Amino acid sequence: MIGERTLTLLGARAMAVTREVGGIAIMTGQVLRALLPPRLDGRELVRNLHRMGNRSLPIVALTAFFAGGLMVVQSAPFVKRLGATSLAGWAAGYAVLREIGPILIGLMFSGRVGANNTAELGTMTVTEQLDGLRALAIDPIRYLIVPRVLAMLIMLTALTIIGDLVALVGAAVVAFLVLDIDWRTMYFSFADNLTPHDFFHGVWKSVAFGAAIALTSCYFGVTVKGGAVGVGRAVNAAVVAAAVSIMLLDFFITYATA
Amino acid sequence: MIELVDVGVELGGATLLRGVSLAVPAGARLGVIGPAAAGKSVLVKVMAGLIPPTTGRLIIDGTDVTGWSEEKLAPVRARIGMLFQNYALYDFLDVAGNVGFPLAQRGLAADAIGPRVLERLRAVGLAGSEFKQPSQLSGGMKKRAGIARATIAAPELVLYDEPTAGLDPVTTSKVYDLLRADHDASGATAVAVSSDVAGLVTFVTDVVFVYRGQIAYQGPAATLADAPDPLVRQFVSGALDGPLEA
Repeated sequence: MIGERTLTLLGARAMAVTREVGGIAIMTGQVLRALLPPRLDGRELVRNLHRMGNRSLPIVALTAFFAGGLMVVQSAPFVKRLGATSLAGWAAGYAVLREIGPILIGLMFSGRVGANNTAELGTMTVTEQLDGLRALAIDPIRYLIVPRVLAMLIMLTALTIIGDLVALVGAAVVAFLVLDIDWRTMYFSFADNLTPHDFFHGVWKSVAFGAAIALTSCYFGVTVKGGAVGVGRAVNAAVVAAAVSIMLLDFFITYATA
Repeated sequence: MIELVDVGVELGGATLLRGVSLAVPAGARLGVIGPAAAGKSVLVKVMAGLIPPTTGRLIIDGTDVTGWSEEKLAPVRARIGMLFQNYALYDFLDVAGNVGFPLAQRGLAADAIGPRVLERLRAVGLAGSEFKQPSQLSGGMKKRAGIARATIAAPELVLYDEPTAGLDPVTTSKVYDLLRADHDASGATAVAVSSDVAGLVTFVTDVVFVYRGQIAYQGPAATLADAPDPLVRQFVSGALDGPLEA
């Protein structure tokens, strides 16, 4: 009996996840369709670019600076023991550009922007604002969702590029203060060992993460049911779905390009 | 103007409407009453094309629009104004932006929208509130802003979902005065859902009583209290004893 009950619960959960993945896939199709031809509300796009990107910059820069520094702190014992100061920049840069930068900034972006987006769309859904748009013959996908998806894609990519640069600066500053490695050594360690491929590997990841965060946060926002409690549940689901998507995408992109 | 033929609606495994047949001629003022969760709001959302009927047909001006896509429905919706139960004022716009939104979406220039917004806001008693955010308005002001938005484009059919819910008696009277004046002037068809029967019958000429997703009664508003159906009589009188289940 216990086995049967467990199977029933597992089946129900699997159905729920399948429904959600299907819903996100349908929304992806609707967004792509709305982009052909691209008829956008320019003001809505600019408004979203500003609030999603500009306001995230300070927290992303702070996180990236210390993430870069941390890479150096972690590698410091080995660098000191082996006297491999010329490799300190490569170690920190490789980790930051390919993994730590995109993942950390993606998770920060999901927590700050994605969660906020779900809460906002969820509140609009329960207060009938989306129905209000449809009643005025305005497609909510074209008017509300597409500008948000584009803004998140553009801004997460931009923030990751900025965050990468700040993280490298953070690594150089910590290397100078902790390991007494001068700036030029760090610079040449970055320049001689890191390739454009390392940089673009992380940038492509950020594009994929941006799409995942945008689509999951919008999907859970517009499918809210049950008032304020439902909005809370949707935000929780969106953050979890985005985090899982980021880790899965990271694994598969890394594996596919290794 | 608008006709529902044997309409049924099922959502999430629940039957919200079944076998609803109703015709609203052009220029008519129809009230929709009934207990909570009876299907009143679903009924007006079906009329607005926001909820597609699971069964039956929706006919607008002789054209069967059942199953039409959102794109195809757009010109039909452009002829309909709707006030939502939860106001549905857009958080990202101020009051003037909300009220002028239907005109802006139709491509009218800003200098043509401004005067019409001010005229509508004056008509609903919200002059001076144009730069306020929806969150700064009281419940009654939100309703009136919603009415201004629903009627600014001079729609042929206006659907009011609970236009006076949560308002005090004086504001309720003001809202119904406003609706009467508006419709006397425009001649537009009106369908109003309300639990406030006493206020509603001062505005509408006919009433349907919705109970458990079906139309249990349809008749003139003037004789509602003497309706032959005991369900309706109990609902109108507010008596505790009767066939109506709490």
